[in-house]
Amino acid sequence: MAELEISKPRGRIPTFRVIKIIIGVLFLVFVSWRLFTVLVVEDIYTPATWVRFGISGLVIGGVYSVIAVGYTLVYGILFMINFAHGEVMMLGAFAGYFVFEAFNTIVVDPASELNFLNAYPWLAVLLAFIVGMSVSMVIGVLLEKIAYRPLRGAPRLIPLISAIGASIFLQNAAQLIFGPKRRIYINPDILSRSAGWTLNIGGEEVIVTYTGVFTFVLSILLMIGLWMLVQRTRMGRAMRAVAENKETAALMGINVDGIISRTFAISGALAGAAGVMWGIQNGIIYHYVGFIPGLKAFTAAVLGGIGNIPGAMVGGLFLGVVESVGPAALGIDFQLKDVIAFSILVLVLIFRPSGILGEVLSEEKV
Amino acid sequence: MKNRIFIIMSFLIVFSMILAACGGQDTGEGDEVSGVPEECAENPDETVCAVIAPGSTIKIGFAGPMTGDYSAFGIDISNAQLLAVQESEPVQGFEFELLVEDTQGSGEGGAAVANLYVSDPDVVAISGHTFSGSTAASIPIYEAAKRPMLSASATRADLTIGNEIFNRIPFTDDIQGTNAGNYLYETLGITKLAVLHDGDAYGKGLAEKVMQVFGLAGGEVVAFEALTPGETDYSAVLTDVEAKGPEAIFFGGYYPEAAVIANNMPVVGLTDVVLFSDDGTFGVSFIELAGDQAEGAYATSALPPSSPGEEAFSALFEGTFGDLPGSLSTFSWHGWDVVNALISAIRQTAVLSDDGNLYVHRDSLVDAVNFLTGFQGLTGVISCTRGECNTAGPTFFIVQNGEWVEATK
Repeated sequence: MAELEISKPRGRIPTFRVIKIIIGVLFLVFVSWRLFTVLVVEDIYTPATWVRFGISGLVIGGVYSVIAVGYTLVYGILFMINFAHGEVMMLGAFAGYFVFEAFNTIVVDPASELNFLNAYPWLAVLLAFIVGMSVSMVIGVLLEKIAYRPLRGAPRLIPLISAIGASIFLQNAAQLIFGPKRRIYINPDILSRSAGWTLNIGGEEVIVTYTGVFTFVLSILLMIGLWMLVQRTRMGRAMRAVAENKETAALMGINVDGIISRTFAISGALAGAAGVMWGIQNGIIYHYVGFIPGLKAFTAAVLGGIGNIPGAMVGGLFLGVVESVGPAALGIDFQLKDVIAFSILVLVLIFRPSGILGEVLSEEKV
Repeated sequence: MKNRIFIIMSFLIVFSMILAACGGQDTGEGDEVSGVPEECAENPDETVCAVIAPGSTIKIGFAGPMTGDYSAFGIDISNAQLLAVQESEPVQGFEFELLVEDTQGSGEGGAAVANLYVSDPDVVAISGHTFSGSTAASIPIYEAAKRPMLSASATRADLTIGNEIFNRIPFTDDIQGTNAGNYLYETLGITKLAVLHDGDAYGKGLAEKVMQVFGLAGGEVVAFEALTPGETDYSAVLTDVEAKGPEAIFFGGYYPEAAVIANNMPVVGLTDVVLFSDDGTFGVSFIELAGDQAEGAYATSALPPSSPGEEAFSALFEGTFGDLPGSLSTFSWHGWDVVNALISAIRQTAVLSDDGNLYVHRDSLVDAVNFLTGFQGLTGVISCTRGECNTAGPTFFIVQNGEWVEATK
């Protein structure tokens, strides 16, 4: 070991380390100075306000996580960023929207004008998720077949460009099919967007919306389900084998193309679920709705360590909370929340290039 | 040999001149065609006069975002204008035609479309551009080519300054901001105001004006914040606003963001706070998107109280596109007025000559648009002075029982 350390190239690494330390110290000084100013000197926020910031961040973070896992799954297997993932999510959101619309018009009890949506709300929500996830799953698989499979052997940049093209294509196709109008998700009454449980924090009422809790819990459940799928099932094992080394996996009798297709199917289904969650939580969808969450989720995936499923989960929640609490805690304009998020991304990449929970990449992957 | 060719050529030329003279009008004396405006006869050049051949159309160019995030504005305004062109009476037997090009709302896109339009001599006037940034980039190009512009929606204050060709129907952001700030303080009696905007030239300019006017009037601005446009959740920034205890929120921006704000307000505890916005928010879309949360929200608008013309337009628009005007953007009525005003200016200027061509002297058309007076549109009487064509100030509307009604208080 001692010999190895001596043989390490000297010169460049120490300078980089010094820069790293300087950046780290400057960052800590800046953050503690801002935190001190906001929390002690100005002290404008009550505990209730902080709780509201936290809730807002956790809910959006949950959705980010579900989308981020889709990026991570595909990256883990193909080492490519599927930039059309946000659009797959948007199409899932539209599918769920039409399910809700349809159920809203079906009247089950003419006497009280009770419609299907409010008569069987959970069934309606379940069906919306099933339809949304199926549509996105099909889109995801088709995307892989049409846009990525022909480029399997090409250099890494080529499928990336194809992905950006697919993203623009899907956005504009959605605009042509559904029109440029923003649409409003009709939730069942039990999931009304402004209703919720009321907490009493420091004498102030804080509303925890039903949709927020629903979104957050569902995202955690989806994560756990995916984790079980990848770790405990035969298919999950095959996926991990393909991620490790495609040739060897093929030699072991694994159908590599089939596994890649299924990975896109799972990733698409998760995007569809995220889309329906987005609609239920935020209420407004249009053809462009997947783009920003897609970018954010990509950031979250890199933040948590791309290729790593728990990493995407942690990255998503972390990003959501930082976006919502960060500007307030540092006393910065809320329009700059993305600056904070991306600064943190840069810092994480400097100090932990593989992300918060990044896996140790094998030589071939790097 | 050369001489022979020369002689044959000159015979041919003379012969063809005689033929041309005989084929012309009987009253024609020779090579001079009567009825061509003097300026055009002196300079037979497409940059001075548009010469529209029989069978061609008089083209009006529309430029706005037709794809991308803000496509709703371009599609809505161009739809209203296509209707206006379709309903228009031909001038001297020449039909009007609306060209529609996509700027994507950006300055670069605007300049590209402007270059395209000035390269087509049959394009005599421009409807647009839709967004202020895109308009600013295109004005120098149109000014060099003498194409008058009349915009339905570009409201940045400085656009009408420093050029001779740009006119607009909506009132400027400055006028709107001043009126809104005074209305909030004096009529609604608000003393603590939070001001939000979407960071765009339009929303930010308006928000700054409101903040300034409201502060000068004696009110206190407790927060001034920008939010990221295009998102569907603003609960974090609204939590921050809530902590500062405002009585009302002024939002400078467009309806998609305003609707999200209205939806998020009760969740973060802003239940008794008034939401006050601008003419980018006014319209049925805001109510559709915000639902019950839209109740009690204010917005400004240039829309006049309903008139027979307005009702006819609504019926026609709904019959053609399936939605009421205002469901995609708040500028449907302005779009209709722009094309009709341009057509009326072209009608005044265009001259039919005896050779069957329609001559439009470009400088005269620019003047006709610049000095348009007393044109009765849906949005009021349109009389242009130094580029500002709408003489009426904004009206304030409030959402009551799911509809915009004129605010009485």
